Amino acid sequence: MKLVGIVGSNAEFSYNRLLLNFIAKNFKKLIDVEVLDIKDVPMFNQSDDQTNSEVIQNLNKKIVEADGVIIATPEYNHSIPSALQSVLEWLSFKIHPLDGKPVMIVGASYDVQGSSRSQLHLRQVLDAPGVNAVVMPGNEFLLGEVYDAFDENENLKDAQTAQFLETCIKKFIRFINVVNVLQSPEGMKDLSDAEDLYATGAIDTTVEGIDMSADDWLEQAAEATQAVEGNTYVKLNRGLLTVNQLNYFLNSMPAELTYADSNNQFLYYNHHMEKEDMLAGRRPEQVGSPLAECHPERVFSSVSWVIQQLRSGKQDVVRTQVPTHGPDKFVVHSYQAVRDDNGNYLGINEYVQDIQPVIDWYLEQTGQQLTGGDVDAVSGATSKVDTVSGATAKA
Amino acid sequence: MKNFISILGSNSDYSTNRLLLQFIQKHFKDQANIEIFEIKNLPAFNKPEDRKAPHEVQELADKIREADGVIISSPEYNHSVPAALKSTLEWLSYTNQALIDKPVMLTGASYGKLGSSRAQSHLRQMLDAPELKARIMPSSEFLIGYSLQAFDDNGNLTDQRKIEALERIFNDFVHFVDITNQLVNANESHQKQAPSYSWEAK
Repeated sequence: MKLVGIVGSNAEFSYNRLLLNFIAKNFKKLIDVEVLDIKDVPMFNQSDDQTNSEVIQNLNKKIVEADGVIIATPEYNHSIPSALQSVLEWLSFKIHPLDGKPVMIVGASYDVQGSSRSQLHLRQVLDAPGVNAVVMPGNEFLLGEVYDAFDENENLKDAQTAQFLETCIKKFIRFINVVNVLQSPEGMKDLSDAEDLYATGAIDTTVEGIDMSADDWLEQAAEATQAVEGNTYVKLNRGLLTVNQLNYFLNSMPAELTYADSNNQFLYYNHHMEKEDMLAGRRPEQVGSPLAECHPERVFSSVSWVIQQLRSGKQDVVRTQVPTHGPDKFVVHSYQAVRDDNGNYLGINEYVQDIQPVIDWYLEQTGQQLTGGDVDAVSGATSKVDTVSGATAKA
Repeated sequence: MKNFISILGSNSDYSTNRLLLQFIQKHFKDQANIEIFEIKNLPAFNKPEDRKAPHEVQELADKIREADGVIISSPEYNHSVPAALKSTLEWLSYTNQALIDKPVMLTGASYGKLGSSRAQSHLRQMLDAPELKARIMPSSEFLIGYSLQAFDDNGNLTDQRKIEALERIFNDFVHFVDITNQLVNANESHQKQAPSYSWEAK
């Protein structure tokens, strides 16, 4: 999960910068935080529009691309600093990158208040229609008397404070997932029409003139394209394999692999098991079919949502756990975008794995145990699955 | 005759708060000399180590110190006070603290219906902070909504009821300035205590 941390102060030295750096460092297993400074942002003036300046465009880009934003604010005169205010004015004037963006507020101050009043002001500012961020309620993290809060390694001295911060961060991760479902029209709206699931179009690689639904599409298409097979060599990047070697190699992958192209046509799976033995059953005659024919109509909206996430570049991989395999397996479907060297979307690599053996092996090798009681410890992982599963588990 | 300094809370080339202050200046010229101070040339506050006020800020501080009272007129940006006005107040609180114990009256105008109500409420809270410690006149909210339509070609407020409300508040303020200055002179300990305050105080 990619987050942006905005330092609410433009001062040379800022404890709020330390706080964000601590969050980035300490929770890097949970979140990937890029800390951004605002000190080069000019004072907002509606008569002197600098929206297109590099510094504002950079902030805009980073925020748009992030899953969420953490703002760390000091308190000046019972309110947020003018520097932060100015940034929010730029980001609500001609451009609105915070619109619908999940935001978490933290703050540090020299006095005991720990930025309490400025956090309330910030909430109100973020709630203004031009900004329209979605601010996480509750979970107020106030760091008072901050001159004494960090040790020489810039870590929070007080373990309880750090623990509370972790709780807040984990809640924020869940919050982001909930907001994504809530925000995106995708969450509620029928998206079936967003994708051409019947693959009525054609791309450069589409084999035309053959019925995609035909049981022997593969045989017909192979003949039409004079596709090589067997012991014919294929030059790859970087290597040389025969088609047989390539097949056995792909079959040996510790996952069920499926390739659907950007035209939403199901082109390949590493067939070496019968449907009944697979984690996600596929039949040989399905190859070539449009994705619409591989899914029941009730999940068309979810399928389209996943494809849109990958096609638009919003996400590179969408994962979902399918819990119907019993307690001994942890089956994960990963929908990974396939892109060319220029980043163009080519299709989906769906790989299905039972990762339970990997987890067991890891625990055995390291002598560690899973602690069952601490629900929060896995909230990042589980909440993500929860919110996405509504959309994709059925797929 | 009172001497007031008014601070225009916007740095924009066109501002209906400027029109409002100009109207106040003109309308009450028999009761007070009112200077309008523009903040658009002030540098952005950046908490310099040396705590030295740039000369534009010092100029404002001197004017505030010499004035009997201060009128601030603020637009509303994002439910709050514009960054430019915030920056001005940060300079004052961080360097010379010229607003301490100064009688202050707030006005505001906005394009929409609500007339800067949220900005004024934030501004009150800010001016009440120990670093600023202004003496804000209570119970005196003056809001101009739909400010683009509020003035005629000569810069006069067209709504007679608004003018009457403004006159009542302004008269109150003249008295409030006298009362406040008596109160402040009676207790000079504020002055001594406040300058030691800073955001870094440990």
